Formats: sequence, structure tokens, C-alpha cells
Amino acid sequence: MNLNTSKGTGNPIDRVEGKLKVTGMAKYASEFKVKNLVYAQGINSTIAKGRITAIDTAEAEAQPGVLAVITYKNAERLAQYDKDLHPLSTTSIQPVLQSDQVHYYGEYVGLVVAETFEQAQYAARLVKYTYAQETPDIDFEASKGKAYTPTEQSDYSRGNVAEGLAEADVTLDETYVTPIEHHHPMELHAIIGSWNGGNVQAYASQQMIDNAATTIADTFQIDKKNVRVMSPYVGGGFGSKLAAKQHVILALMASKAINRPVQLTVSRNQMFTNTNLRQRNEQRIKIGAKSDGTLTALSHDTLSHTSTYEQYQEACGTVTKMLYKTPNNSVTHRLMPMNLQSPFAMRAPGEATGSFALESAMDEMAFKLNMDPIAFRIKNDTQVDPSNGKPFSSRLLNECLRLGAKEFGWENRPQKPASKSEGNWLVGYGVSAASRRAPYMKTSAKVILELKNDAVWATLQMDATDIGTGSYTILAQTVSEYLDIPVEQVDVELGDSEYPVTPGSGGSWGAASFANGARAACEQALKDLKDKAGETAATTTVALMKAAQLSTLEAEGTAEPDEEYKAHSVFSFGANFTEVWVDKDTGVFRIKRMLNVASCGKILNPKTAFGQIIGGCVMGAGMAIAERTEVEPNFGNFITRSFADYHVPVNLDMANIDVVYLPEEDKIANKMGIKGIGELGITSVAASIANAVFNATGKRMRDLPLTPEKIFVKKEEAA
Amino acid sequence: MRPFNYIEAKTKQQALAAVQEQEHAKYLGGGTNLVDLMKEDVERPEALIKVADLDNDTITSNAVGGLTLGAARSNAATANHPEVRKQYPLLSMAMLSAATAQIRNMATNGGNLLQRTRCPYFFETSMPCNKREPGSGCGALDGANAQHAIFGWSKSCVATHPSDMCVALAALEATVTVQTPDGSERTIDFSDFHRLPGKQPELDNTLEPGELITAIELPKPQFTQHYHYLKIRERSSYAFAILSVAAGLKVRGGVVTDVGLAMGGVAHKPWKLTAAEDYLIGKEPTTKNFEEAAQLALADARTLEHNAYKVPMGIKAIVRTLEQAYSKEA
Ligand SMILES: Cc1cc2nc3c(=O)[nH]c(=O)nc-3n(C[C@H](O)[C@H](O)[C@H](O)COP(=O)(O)OP(=O)(O)OC[C@H]3O[C@@H](n4cnc5c(N)ncnc54)[C@H](O)[C@@H]3O)c2cc1C
Ligand code: SF4
Repeated sequence: MNLNTSKGTGNPIDRVEGKLKVTGMAKYASEFKVKNLVYAQGINSTIAKGRITAIDTAEAEAQPGVLAVITYKNAERLAQYDKDLHPLSTTSIQPVLQSDQVHYYGEYVGLVVAETFEQAQYAARLVKYTYAQETPDIDFEASKGKAYTPTEQSDYSRGNVAEGLAEADVTLDETYVTPIEHHHPMELHAIIGSWNGGNVQAYASQQMIDNAATTIADTFQIDKKNVRVMSPYVGGGFGSKLAAKQHVILALMASKAINRPVQLTVSRNQMFTNTNLRQRNEQRIKIGAKSDGTLTALSHDTLSHTSTYEQYQEACGTVTKMLYKTPNNSVTHRLMPMNLQSPFAMRAPGEATGSFALESAMDEMAFKLNMDPIAFRIKNDTQVDPSNGKPFSSRLLNECLRLGAKEFGWENRPQKPASKSEGNWLVGYGVSAASRRAPYMKTSAKVILELKNDAVWATLQMDATDIGTGSYTILAQTVSEYLDIPVEQVDVELGDSEYPVTPGSGGSWGAASFANGARAACEQALKDLKDKAGETAATTTVALMKAAQLSTLEAEGTAEPDEEYKAHSVFSFGANFTEVWVDKDTGVFRIKRMLNVASCGKILNPKTAFGQIIGGCVMGAGMAIAERTEVEPNFGNFITRSFADYHVPVNLDMANIDVVYLPEEDKIANKMGIKGIGELGITSVAASIANAVFNATGKRMRDLPLTPEKIFVKKEEAA
Repeated sequence: MRPFNYIEAKTKQQALAAVQEQEHAKYLGGGTNLVDLMKEDVERPEALIKVADLDNDTITSNAVGGLTLGAARSNAATANHPEVRKQYPLLSMAMLSAATAQIRNMATNGGNLLQRTRCPYFFETSMPCNKREPGSGCGALDGANAQHAIFGWSKSCVATHPSDMCVALAALEATVTVQTPDGSERTIDFSDFHRLPGKQPELDNTLEPGELITAIELPKPQFTQHYHYLKIRERSSYAFAILSVAAGLKVRGGVVTDVGLAMGGVAHKPWKLTAAEDYLIGKEPTTKNFEEAAQLALADARTLEHNAYKVPMGIKAIVRTLEQAYSKEA
């Protein structure tokens, strides 16, 4: 069967753009053929705090092919932040090369533009900087005295946690640590930017087209109408490409200065310093419970760092407010300024890290209560979001846990920690619950119908992006469903700011928002056809076109959340199960198998959805196994600076991952019943692994990642 | 990258002639280490002389009844050679634990011996590092040194040698054959090939300028029954060792009659555990004796601020490796 001739959503069809990708025909930002193209190379600071006192550009400028060396001395003046500690958003301006100040190690301090990439790269090394260095704040512990409440603060409380803890039979008070991590999509951040006398054009690898255009317009203080951003294919982002970053501004600044299009690619090494990071979080969790497992109190206090000039706060406590029923709850977030680059949203911001803390703590509590961790969670389930009193649009968490337990063989879990072994390996099982907001946002789309050879062909246009998730495919399926034509008669065109506006890819809202936007456009087209056709017996799209005597039709539609949506709390839910084997001596552990049960609305395409969850599980395993960016303690540079030392999992680390979807169509979430998937997959995976390590060894690991060194040291402690 | 000359040598004579003609020349094997370091601006050769295509890419029998491993042969084609697998399974196992299949296909035996430390300060040109820039200081000594040496370091440098292959070669007591630029040949015992940092950490080994490694000589087949290479690392592939142990045993009449034992990731050179080896000779291959040997092996370890864990981990790793080696064919 050729699945691509199928109609509608729900079929596991291959990616419609798959062939283009595997044959190299799909063009990514830096690959467009643009006439007169030149190349730029960013220069990074080699101190973490201080001032540039001198710059010698002579040698660089004298090199063959060099067209410009731009530093704060000759860079054009851009819009400036109007306050210190500017709260970062996806549309923030990105001033760069505006002063002699250095805020962190690796900050851009210059740019070389040359005829070839090699010339630019070589000359960039010849620009000499002299600095007046100051002692940087690079130590998390030492910075604690400077903690402050963020401007966009998200403290929350209900009831009284102290009283709830006093009432409890069993209590817990522990701190969980997640390290600095980096997004590291496969495709490097890149742009080909042309200033064009003010008609700005940017091929840029971005998740959100419209926001990128806003950042460009606001930073250069030009009219957004004159900015065109194109991003037809994006090789992953994980949040790092939500906003246009400084390299986008640098390339356009250079293009304006020399009046030629400029290509700028951020190197893998620079991806550590110039594209944001996930900051280190210390999360203190307190739990109180009655001896029957009923929660009496739950609190979550997060301490994180931000840069010295921008604020970003990861809402780690989000999950603790809403996941379990407890009358007494409080959540706080505090930030400390440090001489490190600004953090920004990374895959499942809040949930990925917050759930490591909460779901580890829940496991610890279950152990203290001598309860099965699944039973403990089910005991404290709630169908109403306790943080705002709204009912959940749907919540099948208990069902996920129960089905998972059955499929995984939870009954074979070693009842006592460190009680089961296979040769030199200690065997453990772990479980965790997952929840992730499933937002749905206002989205517009245009559909163009054409009658050709007695069939209707449709082209869908929207500024949405496909960041490797499968947007092209599910949108073709959606149009096919609503127009009732085969998928192969649908063409999807994305990633161009000339198309109708969408919220872009991020926050797991893409599928729900884009598909409903496409639906709205199709519904509008059918309505227009019916209006034009007048009285007719025609029902199919072809017949309607004929009845209306049209060979083409264009229609635009917009979908947005309704009152029903706003009256509910809308989340996806899931459960993770992991079996690990821990070496009894060396501290090495292996993930033997994983199961993820997800309830995340209608599955538009099982194949792309499966890929989303598996990818999330692998990234979650990365958090658990090895991913971390280490700060050099004296100088403040990152000592993990390539994929040779920033360890993401390899195939051999990942055992079989099974994914089971609970059938669900959440019509409150949106008309099509779709919820987000991408970020649910990563959520609480690390906790299920750490919980399994505890079950295997009796050692509780509260500090990610679980390197052999840390497990070994922990195991020795008792001995 | 800085501009450089590129010469493809077809014969050893061409390579040796080129290295004398060119200023600041370096030999190029598979380039998996050298080219990376050039991109990072750490290595700045003005000429590269490719020696990966020389005809010393063979594996042949040698005069002492062992094998000669050509320096130009790839790590993959060496580790997977049927005679290497049969006669030196310890070497094969160690080599196959390194890097990834892709890198092993490119990497040459000569280059593997000369790969440079993974110390992060060495890689970052803005950091102090005596190995990269003599006299600039050692950033790791009072810095991030969890991955650094516990044996034989000096205040000038606490780096480790990263190779897995070399740990097995140390246990097997190989020798290295080199051609000097004047055309003569010399052999270097493996234990003398790499050096300790002392006051000159910029020198990783005892090669003289311009010398070309042509082969690695292995003694008679060893440890074909009882061998094991244990590599502790953060992920299952594509990661350097936190520490590693190569162990080979010969057991006759219930006692150990021969033993080869070396550690990786603990010193500026592959670290031969001579005291532990001496102890085990004539002893029964029991866990208790292995533990005694391991204690002896780590007795003279000196730790830094962040790497103290390597001592107890090393002891456990040695015991485990010896146990696995012994139980392999027992
Ligand atoms: C990401 C990554 C992970 C890795 N993981 C591991 C690992 O886990 N374990 C491990 O052991 N290794 C690992 N390696 C290192 C790899 O084994 C070495 O890079 C490789 O063996 C070097 O061989 P080459 O032929 O590519 O050397 P090149 O890079 O070509 O050369 C290295 C050095 O040797 C010199 N040289 C080369 N041939 C000769 C010769 N015949 N005579 C004299 N000098 C010569 C060169 O001048 C240069 O100084 C890894 C490498 C990478 C990039
Ligand atoms: S340990 Fe050696 S390689 Fe590392 S910084 Fe010190 S001198 Fe350089």
C-alpha cells in the first residue's frame, strides 16, 4: 500500500519532505545560493568579566579577502535595553557589539567579513584584544548571596505548607540539582542575511518566523514590513532557535556595512556560548504525607542563575503546582546574576528539570511510606487543577501509570532496593509521572485550491516551521482530511514571513495550533465554495469547484482558543518506566529498556508522533547519563566545548524504547482534539532513571548527570 | 585554519626528505587528532606530510615469533585482523573500545601512539597550559582536574594520555620502530616511548624531531586465554576512558606464571603496574590476591583536588579486570 495516497490524519505515512531531506535537496539556512555572498566569522571574548581596553585589527584587515572587521568601535548603534536585567522573551531585541563591556566568556566582541569562509575564520584569529579583567561571578555557591526575585515573578502558594508539614506523619526535605545543559540541535544556527538598502531578507534557522522578524525590526529600529524571514527547513532547535539571536543581527549589520549578502554560521563551539543555555537549577522539595500516603504539603523552591544583563527564569515549580492533590502548596523561583551567557527555554522548560526534582522526591516519599510509587501517585491524583481550580480538559495519568505497569511487568520490580542482580549487575526498575502544558495558540493559514485534470490540488501556506517534528506531513494530512482529497494532492509551504502568521514551533503547541489553523483555512475555502456555488447538490471539493465554476480559489482562516479552552487546564500526561543495570563495582550503568505511555490527544501521524516521544526519551536519558556543561572554576569558560566532551547518548546507550499511546481526543483542547507531544517525551525521564538506579543500588542520586564517578562515590560512601 | 603546505608522501624516503625540507612540518596519519587540533589553533604546522598511504600498512610475522603492525595501517584493520584477534585478543579488545567505528577506520597505528591529551586547557588557546605553551602555567593543577592524573604528574602538568590501544601495548610490552631523518632505524621499548611530564610537558614522548614511526613490534603471542580490557566511561561508545585497565594472565598449575597489567587515564603515559605484576607471579589467581595486587598498584597514587575517586575506583577496576580475565577461559 502506498500510504501517501491515503487521506486524512491518523495514518503513519512517511514524511512528505522525506525524500528531499535524504537526497540533500531540502535547503537549510546556510545552503541557499545567493549572488555575491560573503562570509562572516564571530570573534569571542577570552575573559568572563571586564572591559576591552584595546583592539588591534590591522593584521586581520590586511589579509587577502577581508572586507570588514567590525567591533564595538565601528559597529552601528542599535536599540538598547531600557532597563538592566532585561527580561528575555522570544521577541527581545538583540543588541551586540555596542560597548567595551564583557559580561561572560565567549561573548561576541567582533566580526570578520571576508570573501571566503576560510579567510574570515583565519582573519578572526588575528584580531588582537587587550582587556582590563575583573573577577567574574562564576561560582554558583558563592553567588547565592545575590539571589533576587525575578521581575516576572511566579511565586505561588495555596494553604500553608508549614502547617501541612506539621500535620504529616512522614516528611521529606531534599535538594535536587540539574546542571547547565545546551540545546545543541544538529543544524548549527545560521543565517544568510541581506540588508538590501533596507529591504531586509534573512534565510535563518529559526523556530518562530514572526518573532524573528520582530527582533530584527526592533533591534535595527526599522519597520517590520520591510523584513522578510525564511526558514523552510530547520534541523532542530529545542528552544535555542525560538528567538533570533545575536548572530542574526551581526550578519545583517555586516551586510548593511558592506552592501553584500552575508552568511554567518555559529560553530559548534560557539553554540555553547552564543545561543543560550539551560542554567543550573538547585531545587528544594518538601513533602508531607499521612501514613496512608495522602499528601498534606508540597513545596518547590528553585534557585537558578541568569546573566548579568538579561533575566530568564525557568519555571521549574510549574509541575509541582498542578500534578498532585494537596491543600498546602508553595512554589518560588529565585535568580542570581552570574558572568555566564543568558539562559533561555530548552526543551520542556520547567517540566524537564522540575519533574526530575518532583518525581525523584515522590519516589523517595513512596519508599519512606513503604508504598508502591505508582499507588502513591494514584492516591494523590486530581481531576481538577489545584493551582487554579479549573478542571483538566482531560487527565488520564492514572490510566497511563496502570497500563504502563502492566505492559512493563512492574510486578517483577525488586521490592527492596539492591535486592536483584544479574552477574555483576544490580537490577532496578523506576517509574515517574509526566505532565506538560498543551497550549493552543491563535494561528492563521491560507489555502489555494486548483482544479486540474478533474481533481483538486491544494497548497497550504503559513509561516509555521517544521523543526524536524513533522509539521509538513501532519499539515498535508490535515488539509487532505478537511478537503477530502488524497495527501499527495496537497502541497505545504512553510517558514516564510510572507505567509499568514502562526505562533511558530515551540512549547509543544505547534501541531495543535498549526493543524487547527489549516483546518480553519480549509473550512473557509469550503464555505466560500458553497457560497459561490449557490444551490447545489455537490458535496465533494471537486464538485463544488465545478458547481462554482472556479478553477482556483484562495481562502484564509484563523483558529484560536475558545471559552471552553480557557475554562480548563490543558495538559498532556504520561508515565515513564525504566529498567537499569548498575555495575556493582565501577559505577557504570546501562539502560536496559524504557517504556513511555502517553496520553496526548489525537495522534495525527503515529510515525512522526513516535519519533517525537522517542527523541524526548533519548534527550531525557542524556540528562540522566552525561549531559552537562562544566564551567572552569577560575576563568569561567566552558570546559565542555564539543561533542567529544559534551556527551549526548549514543545508540548503544539506548536500549529498546517502547511507546504506547492512550487513545484520546480532547475536544476541549481544540476542535481537532490535538495536544502537544514533543516535550512530554523528555519530561521526568531522568527521574525514572534515577529512581531505577535507587531501586538497583539503594543509593539516591539527586545530582544530575549520573556519571560513573558520582555513582561510584555514592556507592563507596556506605561501604 | 592557518594556511599550510600539503605533501602526500608515497615512500618513507619521500616523507623523511620532506620533513627536512619543510619548516615546522608534521606527519599526517588519519588526521583524526591533528586536524581537530589545527582547527582549534592548538597545533600550527606549516606543512603536513601525509604518511597514511605509505606501504607500511601491513601486518606480518616478525623475527621473535610475534607480529609487526605497520604504522600506516588503520586502527580498525589492525584490531579486526584475524591474527591480531587470535594472538593478541587483549590488544584487539582495547582498540575496539576506542572512539567510534568511523574514527577507527581513519586513525592509524602511528597516529594513535602520538594522539595528544584531552585536557580541556590544552584545547583552549586562551587558557594557561604548559604543554601547549611552555611557561604559561598549568590551568588544570588548581582547576578542573577530575579527569587528570594520579600517577607520575608534576606541577608543570597533570594531564593523562588518552589512548586505549597504548594501554594494551604497555601490558604486552611492545616496541616501537622509528626511522630517523638521516635514514637509520631505531627501536624504543614501549615503556620508554611515552614520557612523564617533569619540567617539559610539551614533550609527550621520546621521539626526536622528524622521526617517523614505521611499525609496532609485538613479542610472542601472549595472554590468548586470560585477558580483559575494562574501560570505565560516561557513555557506551565514543567516549574516552575515565580510567581503564588492561590485564593478561598466564596460569599454569594453579598459579600465575605471567602477567601483563597496565592502566589508562591515570598518567601522562600508559601506566604499567609493575609492583602488582611482580606480586602476582607465583600466586594463585584468587580475588584476594587480585585485591592485594590492586592495593599495591595504587599505593603510590597522588591525587588532585577533584580526582581522588580514581584511587578506589582504580582498585575495584583492577580486581574486576583480573577476575574477568581469569574467568574468561578458566
Ligand atoms: C571524538 C573522538 C573520540 C575518541 N575516542 C578515543 C578513545 O576512546 N580511545 C582512544 O584511544 N582514542 C580515541 N580517539 C583518538 C583516536 O584514537 C586518535 O585520534 C587516532 O588514533 C589518531 O590517529 P591518526 O592517524 O588520525 O593521527 P593524526 O591525527 O593523523 O596524527 C596524530 C599525531 O601523530 C603524528 N603522526 C601520525 N603518524 C605518524 C607517524 N607514522 N610517525 C610519526 N608521527 C606520526 C601526527 O604528526 C600527529 O602529531 C578519539 C578521537 C576523537 C576525535
Ligand atoms: S595538565 Fe598539562 S595539558 Fe592540562 S593544562 Fe596542565 S599543562 Fe596543560
